[in-house]
Amino acid sequence: MRLSLAFVALLALALAAPRTGLAQTSPFEGKTITIVVGFKTGGGYDRTARVLARHLPKHIPGKPNVIVQNMPGANSITAANHVYNVAKPDGLTLGTFNRNLVLAQLTHVPGVKYDMRKFAWIGSAASETTILAIRADLPYKTFDELRKSGKTVVIGATGPGANTYDFPLLLKDLLGVDLKIVSGYSSSSDIMLAIERKEVDGRAGSYSSLQQFIGRGLVRPLVRARAIEPGIENLPVDEDLAPNPRARAIMALRSAPEVIGRPYVTTPGTREDIVRILREAFRNVIKDPQLLAEAEKAKMDFEFIGGDETLKIVNEVLLQPKDVVDDFGKYIKFGE
Amino acid sequence: MHSKASLILGVAIMVLSGAAVIIALDWPWKAKLFPLVIGIPVFCLAMTEVLWCVFGAADRGGAMDFQISAHLPRKVVLVRSLRAAGWMIGFFGAIVLLGFPVAVPLFVLLYLKLQAQEGWGLSVAMTAAVWVFFYGLFDFLLHLPFPAGWIQTGLGLA
Amino acid sequence: MIEALFAGLLAVLQWKAFTFMLAGIGLGFWVGLLPGLGGATTLALMLPFVYAMEPVEGFAFLLGMHAVVATTGDITSVLFGVPGEATTAATVLDGHAMAKKGEAGRALGAVLMSSLIGALVGAVALAAAIPVVRPLVLSFGSPELFMLAIVGLAFIASLSAQGGRGMLRGFLAGGFGLMIATVGQDPQAGIARYTFDSLYLWGGLDLVPVLIGIFAIPEIIDLAIRGTSIAGDVPRGRLNQGVLEGVKDTFRHFGLTLRCSLIGTFIGIMPGLGGAVAQWLAYGHATQSARNAEDRANFGRGDVRGVLGPGAANNSKEGGSLIPTVAFGVPGSSAMAILLGGFFVMGLVPGPDMLTKHLIVTFSMVWTIVIANIIAVGACFLFLNQLAGLTNVRGHVLIPVILVLVFIGSYTSNNHYGDVLVTLAFGGVGYLMVLSGWPRAPFVLGLVLGKIAENYLYISVARYDAEWLTRPIVLVLFAMAVAVILYPLVQGWRSRAKGETHA
Repeated sequence: MRLSLAFVALLALALAAPRTGLAQTSPFEGKTITIVVGFKTGGGYDRTARVLARHLPKHIPGKPNVIVQNMPGANSITAANHVYNVAKPDGLTLGTFNRNLVLAQLTHVPGVKYDMRKFAWIGSAASETTILAIRADLPYKTFDELRKSGKTVVIGATGPGANTYDFPLLLKDLLGVDLKIVSGYSSSSDIMLAIERKEVDGRAGSYSSLQQFIGRGLVRPLVRARAIEPGIENLPVDEDLAPNPRARAIMALRSAPEVIGRPYVTTPGTREDIVRILREAFRNVIKDPQLLAEAEKAKMDFEFIGGDETLKIVNEVLLQPKDVVDDFGKYIKFGE
Repeated sequence: MHSKASLILGVAIMVLSGAAVIIALDWPWKAKLFPLVIGIPVFCLAMTEVLWCVFGAADRGGAMDFQISAHLPRKVVLVRSLRAAGWMIGFFGAIVLLGFPVAVPLFVLLYLKLQAQEGWGLSVAMTAAVWVFFYGLFDFLLHLPFPAGWIQTGLGLA
Repeated sequence: MIEALFAGLLAVLQWKAFTFMLAGIGLGFWVGLLPGLGGATTLALMLPFVYAMEPVEGFAFLLGMHAVVATTGDITSVLFGVPGEATTAATVLDGHAMAKKGEAGRALGAVLMSSLIGALVGAVALAAAIPVVRPLVLSFGSPELFMLAIVGLAFIASLSAQGGRGMLRGFLAGGFGLMIATVGQDPQAGIARYTFDSLYLWGGLDLVPVLIGIFAIPEIIDLAIRGTSIAGDVPRGRLNQGVLEGVKDTFRHFGLTLRCSLIGTFIGIMPGLGGAVAQWLAYGHATQSARNAEDRANFGRGDVRGVLGPGAANNSKEGGSLIPTVAFGVPGSSAMAILLGGFFVMGLVPGPDMLTKHLIVTFSMVWTIVIANIIAVGACFLFLNQLAGLTNVRGHVLIPVILVLVFIGSYTSNNHYGDVLVTLAFGGVGYLMVLSGWPRAPFVLGLVLGKIAENYLYISVARYDAEWLTRPIVLVLFAMAVAVILYPLVQGWRSRAKGETHA
């Protein structure tokens, strides 16, 4: 009798012990995390993801494998839809996509099958800001000089929905700057060539993409959007020059997503503790000295903005009053 | 063969270009200029081709392109073409239903056995080789995303 | 500058850089051969490994890989009729036709030799153009690029069969290609054109799935119909002489090879025209080299000149497209865009500096292209007989493998099933076109040039109102376009006139 009791006790102990052991292993042990990128290989979002993928395993308990998969299509709406609807909420599928997708949701672009507020936000790996730069050999050294000159300045753009087009459009329509926007260039580098040819006088774009040309002395930055990046803090901000609150609201709306320069999310409904692990991992990997060394070489900037903050911004954008959104929609169309 | 096929193609292009022009009429002029400038002439050209096929003399000339083998009787060509098309569409169906990793070896095996009527040895060997190559390169090395087939998802296996 | 030239050569010949180049060549060999892998995608995937290398080594690797892709892509096009890359589709028309006549060896010999010459010419052009590159590229603005696209479209006339009916069908095919090019969101008003609310069509149709569909699928169906091997019932044993014959052909038509190399280099230099254009313009030019209408009718049925032209052009284009990348920081093609990323990783800033301060690096890139191509072509020649021997294997045994590669190839452009559907759909279209006697080459021209023509037209008008029509280069190009259209017509009249006097 005592023997069988002892046996049962031992059995109970044996059964209990492994369970407490399991509770200590990470949910990522032996697994593979997939980062789904909404663009083709080689672009900015893809390169950021691949750099992160190389260094993330060290910072996630369980040291899972991290791979990158490309799912281009519809300016990354396809990838966002996939992570939202198809991926399982186990934290093994992360998504990174166009930062402006929240605006696509706001303006009811057909095909949007996600809700930015419901994603399990990890955060943003960098912030970007848009600037307007014109050829350095033009006589306007400040934004003010440009406005007061009374001359038409030709700005090259790729198409509606890109910041090359939207930013100068708002400057022209809301601030009254005399800009002629010539659109249709196949890429922003083609516009740079057109600038050298003196076919156009300048372009708008992300500061990071224009940096090499500013450094070379080809163009000079004149005005920026709200988000700050080192090197352009002293430029005037477009919103500050807005003549009325409606104009300011529209400009603010356009640049709101830029703080979330490289958004990273995972499927809605993912367990809280998993999301927390991922957020911590991202926060730490962006401080990782090896990653920073790589980033330095590749001239990429990393800066972690936590998921709580990004979610707040997303909420602010999506809670804008209808008349502001309608006005916004008149200027800004989500593009290819 | 030429004239009949050309007639089908001509009518198809007529319909497509006509529809394209009608759809484009609603757009702002910047968006509709090119579609109209191209669509309307194409419609006229297609109509010309259709009329030529119906009322014109038998068609002798070929394009600067290869010709589908004409040395076999027409019926044989048609049957074999349809069979080939069937295999391709079937392969695509298998990919959607079962996912790439299963569909690829399955297709290779079935084709080699049923269509090519090769022996088991060669068929299995080739299937294995193709599968190893496919898996090794595209899955293991490149991590390409191959969605799970509908059947696997339906059965809850994926 | 001469010292830089030799210093560049020595830099590449150092054992470390050389080894990396060999590795790149080895990789690029397979990437070009397989329709699934694109040169651009693989370049991007290799980029991180380049982080640890010195600039010269890194470029040796990346360029070694990239330089070879165009060469081996031609091999797949010739042997199986499947475009190995988007840039090697034109070689399918005559190259695969030759394979079907049992002349696979000759076609391969021709394509490899012309690729080598094209690469050499491209590299020489890159080196020689360095002093004049900036003014050259800067003088070709949007109006000139629009006219260039028009010249390209004018080649539709050359690629059409003789006579009114031939022209009609050629322009129908071209027009159809132009229509397909309008699918997607337009960059002027932001309207989603012909997308029918499908997210997949939003960006327009991708080139690779369409090309694979329209060229490979009809060939596969034809192979299934015939039931024989690709080479048909031609007796074996002619392969070796075939290869030598192909090499000799390259020199027999050396003028053509040279001219097409220059065309490729020029198109490569002009950023914004896209990588797929050069081979078709070269093909169009090759058809013009026919002496009369009957001679021209052989194209598409296995004329070696139809292989030499695109073979040379798609390699020389690589050298050409380095120029805007290096001299302006503006990539000449999508693969160059990725290479540009490599520049930054290695701490180099593309721009005028590359032609002055870092001239040695620039020349080492030129030498890499030269040496990589020589090695790759040499290696290919070693395996040519085995490769050509594949055309003697029973068709039904090859078909499943080819189809697997075709399906994966189109899938991997966007990792989307839609691409495979597009391949099947255009496969059907291609089959119908072949059956109906409609030429497929004009269709591709329309597809590839449509967006370019439209965009540059709008930019030209928006920027210059009407005065762009009077710019000198624009007028010259317009005259060229007219000449290109009239040439086959004049040829036709002349031969008919001669025929009548002889009758």
